[in-house]
Amino acid sequence: MNNLLIFYPAAVVAVITTLMVILTRNPVYAVIYLILSLCGVALVFFSLGAPFLAALEVIVYAGAIIVLFLFVVMMLNIGRVMNEQDCLRPSRKQMILPGFLVIVLLVETLMCLFAAAPVNPAASSISTKALGQALYGKHYLGVLLSALVLLIGAIGGIHLGRASSCPDTKERSIHAPR
Amino acid sequence: MKFSPTVECPIWESGADDLLKGARGVLGVSGMQHVEPANIAKVLREHRTNPARPFPVLYDLTAVDESQRRKRPDSDDHRFTLQYLLWAPERSETLLLKVPLKGDAPHVATATAVYMNANWYEREVFDMFGIRFDGHPNLRRILMPDWWKGHALRKDHPNRATEMPPLVITESDLGEYDNYDYVPTPGDSYMRTRGKNGGELLILNLGPNHPGTHGVLRVILTLNGEYMEDVCPDIGYHHRGAEKMAERQTFHTYIPYTDRVDYLAGTYNELPYVMACEQLAGIGVPPRAVMIRVMLGEIYRICNHLVWFGTLGHDVGAMTPVFYTFRERESLFKIVEMITGGRMHPNYLRIGGCSMDLPPGWQEPLKVFLKHFDKHLLEYKNLLLDNPIFKSRTKGVGKMPLSECWEWGVTGPNLRASGTDFDLRKRAPYCGYEQFDFEIPMASEGDCYARAVVRHAEMHESAKIIEQCLRLMPDGEVMSRDNRFAFPPRKSETMMDIEALINHFLAVGWGLNMPAGESFVMTEQPKGNSGYYVISDGRTSPYRLRIRTPSFAVMQTLPELCRGHLLSDLLAVIGAMDFVLADIDR
Amino acid sequence: MSEMIALAASAPPAVVYPLYLQAIIAIVKGAVLLFVLLTLAAYAVFAERRILAFMQGRVGPNRAGPFGFLQPLADVFKLLTKEEANPPFADKWLYYAAPAIITITSMLTFAVIPFGPSDWFIITDLNVGLLFFLALSSLGVYSIVLAGWSSNSKYAALGGLRATAQMISYELPMSLALVGVVLAAGTFSLREIVCAQSGLWFIVIQPVGFAVFLIAAVAESRRTPFDLPEAENEIVAGFHTEYSSMKFALFFLGEYVSIMLLSCIIAVVYLGGWHGPWLPPPLWMLIKVGALVFFFIWIRATFPRLRYDHLMELGWKWLLPLAIANVVITAALLLAFPKLVQGAGK
Repeated sequence: MNNLLIFYPAAVVAVITTLMVILTRNPVYAVIYLILSLCGVALVFFSLGAPFLAALEVIVYAGAIIVLFLFVVMMLNIGRVMNEQDCLRPSRKQMILPGFLVIVLLVETLMCLFAAAPVNPAASSISTKALGQALYGKHYLGVLLSALVLLIGAIGGIHLGRASSCPDTKERSIHAPR
Repeated sequence: MKFSPTVECPIWESGADDLLKGARGVLGVSGMQHVEPANIAKVLREHRTNPARPFPVLYDLTAVDESQRRKRPDSDDHRFTLQYLLWAPERSETLLLKVPLKGDAPHVATATAVYMNANWYEREVFDMFGIRFDGHPNLRRILMPDWWKGHALRKDHPNRATEMPPLVITESDLGEYDNYDYVPTPGDSYMRTRGKNGGELLILNLGPNHPGTHGVLRVILTLNGEYMEDVCPDIGYHHRGAEKMAERQTFHTYIPYTDRVDYLAGTYNELPYVMACEQLAGIGVPPRAVMIRVMLGEIYRICNHLVWFGTLGHDVGAMTPVFYTFRERESLFKIVEMITGGRMHPNYLRIGGCSMDLPPGWQEPLKVFLKHFDKHLLEYKNLLLDNPIFKSRTKGVGKMPLSECWEWGVTGPNLRASGTDFDLRKRAPYCGYEQFDFEIPMASEGDCYARAVVRHAEMHESAKIIEQCLRLMPDGEVMSRDNRFAFPPRKSETMMDIEALINHFLAVGWGLNMPAGESFVMTEQPKGNSGYYVISDGRTSPYRLRIRTPSFAVMQTLPELCRGHLLSDLLAVIGAMDFVLADIDR
Repeated sequence: MSEMIALAASAPPAVVYPLYLQAIIAIVKGAVLLFVLLTLAAYAVFAERRILAFMQGRVGPNRAGPFGFLQPLADVFKLLTKEEANPPFADKWLYYAAPAIITITSMLTFAVIPFGPSDWFIITDLNVGLLFFLALSSLGVYSIVLAGWSSNSKYAALGGLRATAQMISYELPMSLALVGVVLAAGTFSLREIVCAQSGLWFIVIQPVGFAVFLIAAVAESRRTPFDLPEAENEIVAGFHTEYSSMKFALFFLGEYVSIMLLSCIIAVVYLGGWHGPWLPPPLWMLIKVGALVFFFIWIRATFPRLRYDHLMELGWKWLLPLAIANVVITAALLLAFPKLVQGAGK
């Protein structure tokens, strides 16, 4: 029962935040949604009895890779190209959703922690072989799809990287006083 | 050993008539030459490259507004005199070039092509006198704000705030003050927004209120990542018009103002000033007073280096050394307070001697201090100089080779860190320094660490000099007997001697009647070579007083020292170069 | 206190309480821990000021209460009542969120720190406790990055960039140093790691790992000589230049909480946690943590600050290879003499 209590909210948070990553116009905010999404996914892993994977998800993705994303976004100052009023002064209303999501995640983490018996009855340890069979047998289509998505992402990245030498965006520096 | 620095020389023996006419030329310089404005660049180049008698250093460049001078030494029809002071340190020779300039807004060719450090000096002359230098790379105001009206050191510029209309900031001005960020001019290289490799550059405005700049210094940095592509010091925030103030103070009442020029050097600021005045007046100083001057000067040298040492440590992130050095500085200040009554601003020297004799029992605290000081020096060495992180922060940072030091007019410990033992106290001794036994520490690397090592060793040498003063302090008076300039006269004499009483009345009620003339003295201050140039036209206050400070010269080299280094190195360089903002801006 | 420990120690650990009781117990434990932690953090500030003052020949704060013991209270009141100055050019919400992140992440980690052998001295014995610590400390970086970015000021941006680069670089050797311990103990659970040190502390078997972790921990907490992100002489206050009042206090608190946290981790992982003769276990833990906090303060009084390139050099050229070599050698030794290391651990 505990597990479901963790699983469903975390999964919902992960889905919503992932949507927000795509929908948000401010890239810094998008990156932050991505962090929340990863944390949600980590909780999902945790509730499914894979604490190691959950920890690695946070350490590697949220802790290291996304920091670099944020770094790059900060350096490129893409955020300031848009209407400054929009991205600099988000209204209170706009902050309700992310605030709510963060609180959900936080409460769930606390629940995981404070439940004296760990919530992970560690179903049964899965061997590498079983994992491989599952990935390339049962979930073959999913693996293919995610590979396609990655390819699209790579191509899109190259394309955007080439086009980004537009002088207009670079002249406006975040560092310049307003 | 008998201490005999100078001999009392009654003024009437040196031809008082000539003195009052101001016909003696300039005291304290080895040579003087009048140059026509059109020839100045050529003459400068000749002097610089003259194989027989080269003058490699432009020591100072300033001007005099002659419009109200009573007894003009030269022709009567020019408005300004531009003064180039060339220096050949190896021969201890100084050459004063005087350039008469006519008209209200004269032009003259720039000297920057001959002497690099003329840059800031010419800007200062432009700022203060409105003399334009044709061909100068960046002729802007340097000390006063860009919106200032008039040129402050001209005689027609008001001397006091009450002589000026009140400063009213209208609505339209407000925008101007608001935008007083920095107005780029085409000559400024640091407004590039792209680096050499096409990357975007960050312009960082460091100061004037910044915890790392030792005062109100503003540095405009052009950063490529954390690397400094360009550095532009912006000075003038501490400008108080010390030179202008001299023109309305009597010769005596100006002494406290000199304390404030390099506020860490105490009596060592007063020293060149009173020496210049004594030279002008032609009076000597009793040996005891001279030795007190030396002793206090060296005490202040130690004080200055202690502050410098602690702040350098703080600048590279070590928070403890500054407390240790201030502890020793405090015990020195207690001694200074006992002797002079003041601490940072002692106002102790007088024209003709010192304001009072040493108090009874002055030796004991000094002995105690000297006994422990070497131990403390070792402590500083262990704490900071030997620290591997400190070494890595300062070694190879802010290097300046010897030739460039001369080029920029850098003097003092910064110069001696670059591989010479040039010290005025040895090369052109004054105040009887030649009779003391001390070494001139030097280092050859020319980086921040070398500067640290030199100053650390200098503290030890200064302690040696103080110890000798303690042992050899002669007896006798501390004030010249020449009552016309030595002020105040002794009580016993004013009661018995009508001449002394008259002089006392004159000095108090009117001011010293200084003979007309021009006098220049340079001394080795803790921070470097400082020169005072006093012009008297026979009135009770200086007609013009020029203060050449070591900090101004060294601050001009900041871009050279920092370019290409990391942002953190800026602080190490600033910390190691040892300047005081009051000394830069005056 | 000692009765409680005896009681706790004697209680069978495998009692399963009903869920609501579990929740209440956990919340009470958490509240007590938070209270103790915040008080200790406040007194760590006080201790730092007094110890620094002592080392620098000063007096330090001694006016509020006897020996200045009420100084932390006075500090808190001062910070609470200060005017909050929010820069108009800041990205408001991220600017608000940044100090919260560091406080939350550093406090959450305390949930897995065992202060004693019994269930009463640990909130939860997560079987990936060590990873939990690493995960949260890597999330803590966001606080600094976002503070630097959202302040929209150059000094803050520089500080944020420095901090991020520094923390990412030093997290690597830090985690790798821990791998050696994990190999030796055979578990990620902090309690079991402590139990594995009942014979020999890991500082003895893992001296290189200990040194690497210690240096990396100082760098991770951004204190002298690694305090580049807030180097006041260079970049004013770095990432928290624009912060004031309570938000600044949270950064301040976060710094001291993370010092305590890192001290706890070092004590647990390398110094045998609660193990020690004569004294009750939690007291031993406190003594060790206190000694480590003193160490943090001590080096602050002694060292100058590293330069950015030297910092990176130290991290990547020295600590990282050392940590990797440590892992390799430990693993090789474990393979060659499984009995030796396990025996030492047990």
